[in-house]
Amino acid sequence: MALLELENVTKRFGGLTAVDHVSLELEHGQFVGIVGPNGSGKTTLFNVISGVFFPEEGRILFEGQDITGMPPYKRAPLGIGRTFQIPRPFGSATVRENIAVGAMFGTLGHKTSVDESLEIADAIIARVGLEAHKDKAAGTLTPVEKKLTEIARALAMKPKLLLMDEAMAGMHPSDIDQMVALIKQIAREEQIAVVAMVEHIMRAVVGMAEKVIVLHQGAKLVDAPTKEALEDPRVVEVYLGHPPEE
Amino acid sequence: MKKQITKYYPLIPVYAAYLILFLIGVNVEGMWQLVAMLLFYCALGQAFNIFLGMTGYVDFGYVAFMGVGTYGMALAITRLVGFQGLGLGIIVIGFFLALVMSSLLSVAVGAVALRLRGAYFAIATIGVNEGFRFLIEGAKIWNGTEGMIFTAELNRILGREAASALSTFWADVMVLVIAALAAFVTLFYMRSKIGYALTALREDEDAAKVMGINVTKFKIIAFITSSGFAGLIGATSWALKTPYVFPPEVFEIHYTIEAIIIVLLGGAGTLLGPVIGGLIYGISKYYLSIFMPGFQLLIFAPIIIVIIIMFPEGVVGMLKNRLKGTALGRFII
Ligand SMILES: Nc1ncnc2c1ncn2[C@@H]1O[C@H](COP(=O)(O)OP(=O)(O)OP(=O)(O)O)[C@@H](O)[C@H]1O
Ligand SMILES: [Mg+2]
Repeated sequence: MALLELENVTKRFGGLTAVDHVSLELEHGQFVGIVGPNGSGKTTLFNVISGVFFPEEGRILFEGQDITGMPPYKRAPLGIGRTFQIPRPFGSATVRENIAVGAMFGTLGHKTSVDESLEIADAIIARVGLEAHKDKAAGTLTPVEKKLTEIARALAMKPKLLLMDEAMAGMHPSDIDQMVALIKQIAREEQIAVVAMVEHIMRAVVGMAEKVIVLHQGAKLVDAPTKEALEDPRVVEVYLGHPPEE
Repeated sequence: MKKQITKYYPLIPVYAAYLILFLIGVNVEGMWQLVAMLLFYCALGQAFNIFLGMTGYVDFGYVAFMGVGTYGMALAITRLVGFQGLGLGIIVIGFFLALVMSSLLSVAVGAVALRLRGAYFAIATIGVNEGFRFLIEGAKIWNGTEGMIFTAELNRILGREAASALSTFWADVMVLVIAALAAFVTLFYMRSKIGYALTALREDEDAAKVMGINVTKFKIIAFITSSGFAGLIGATSWALKTPYVFPPEVFEIHYTIEAIIIVLLGGAGTLLGPVIGGLIYGISKYYLSIFMPGFQLLIFAPIIIVIIIMFPEGVVGMLKNRLKGTALGRFII
């Protein structure tokens, strides 16, 4: 059974169709890059999958279950985790507490105590290298540290699907490589499917995605294995305007 | 086990403050009245903090829950006075009624209003207090505008001497107990998933939802808890201390404003904040009204504004950040 299925999902804002009859299918543990120019509907697609918005048309199935109209707080325990394009950690809480929240209310939610959640947080903190910051209020971090905290918080949910909305923008290229390697490793170990929005960083797409979905004006333009997708003339024309870097 | 106990260390400064207040009150001649007032403000802050401080939502109708609690105690006393055998049990039933009635009202208000976001919620709650008062007055519920006076009933139940001791001393002690209980519940929440959920939704409600937090549920938990304590404070500070209840007095919005000031002064969402806020507010109010009667608001308002600008996170909020990581930091939250 597919992990995630979208059937003709459409989301409009007034007269604007932000997501236009998008269908797609995702397997457990799969790595997918999602690209598309500004305003092409990537964030809106993530919002629809995570339940921030409900689509006007179409269906969303998660492990076969119809979640189209399900509120977001019920989707997270099923295994849908995400990061935001502009990081949104809980500012007054420490990094450790932020990450523990993921463990408390994610897929393990009903079984983990507060103490166990804090232990899970500590393990993830060590893994992503946030030890030096763990007792700082998340609101005082640099943007990159906030992003890391968000990724860690989402990982603490032990999700089956991780939606990363431009999770690595603003990072130094060498840090991106490191981060990509780490996320890939964790995702493989824990069988997490990742959909990453990586617009400005083609190297990140190449580095991690098995397949690439290209959005254009809300519609799915291409859905193909990475190499093939990036060489697709429509992609080059519509999105890149020039061949991919590197 | 050791760990479980250290988690509750932050109660030490709170309870120490209450104990010192109490000792001053009983040992220093003429101080009890001031101490009683301070205990009232600390309790009010401690109770309101569970909602305002922990969720970041402002409830302008908060005093309504104190009012309803006052009625709960008044009803128990006036309706059960015939059952002499119950004795003090009537007061216990009164507390129970106060708790149930204020909680029920909070469920009703919360179920509707807590679906609204921040500012909209605040506006909606302004109406709750006035609406409830007009309902009681207009529909002549519980004697309508005439209110209830139950000095005689209280005397009959407890005897004249005990009733007098109740209103001049024991009611204040009960307020102290309520404040201590509210502090305990606050810390218990902070240390449980409820506290984490409330912090998350206070900081970013949409992000909290996506993290799996049923924000409405947790807001309602905080709201009911906070309102229940308000009901108990009303039942004690108002019904038992001054055995009468008039709608305009118990639905007086300035108590809500005082509660907001106390929470913000001390540090919203902190455990020790309501104690510090209650003390600063109560002491300044008391002495200003003695030394500059009539001018207290004129002097008071700017002082409060200055403190809030200087310490936007409240006095304890600031202290907490300063002490983070130090030995003292474990006690001040
Ligand atoms: N909450 C909203 N209300 C109204 N319009 C919106 C809303 N969110 C997105 N849109 C519109 O929907 C379209 C798609 O936006 P979206 O943010 O999904 O694009 P994106 O691919 O994530 O862009 P970017 O690369 O800039 O992040 C845009 O035209 C945007 O203005
Ligand atoms: Mg976007």
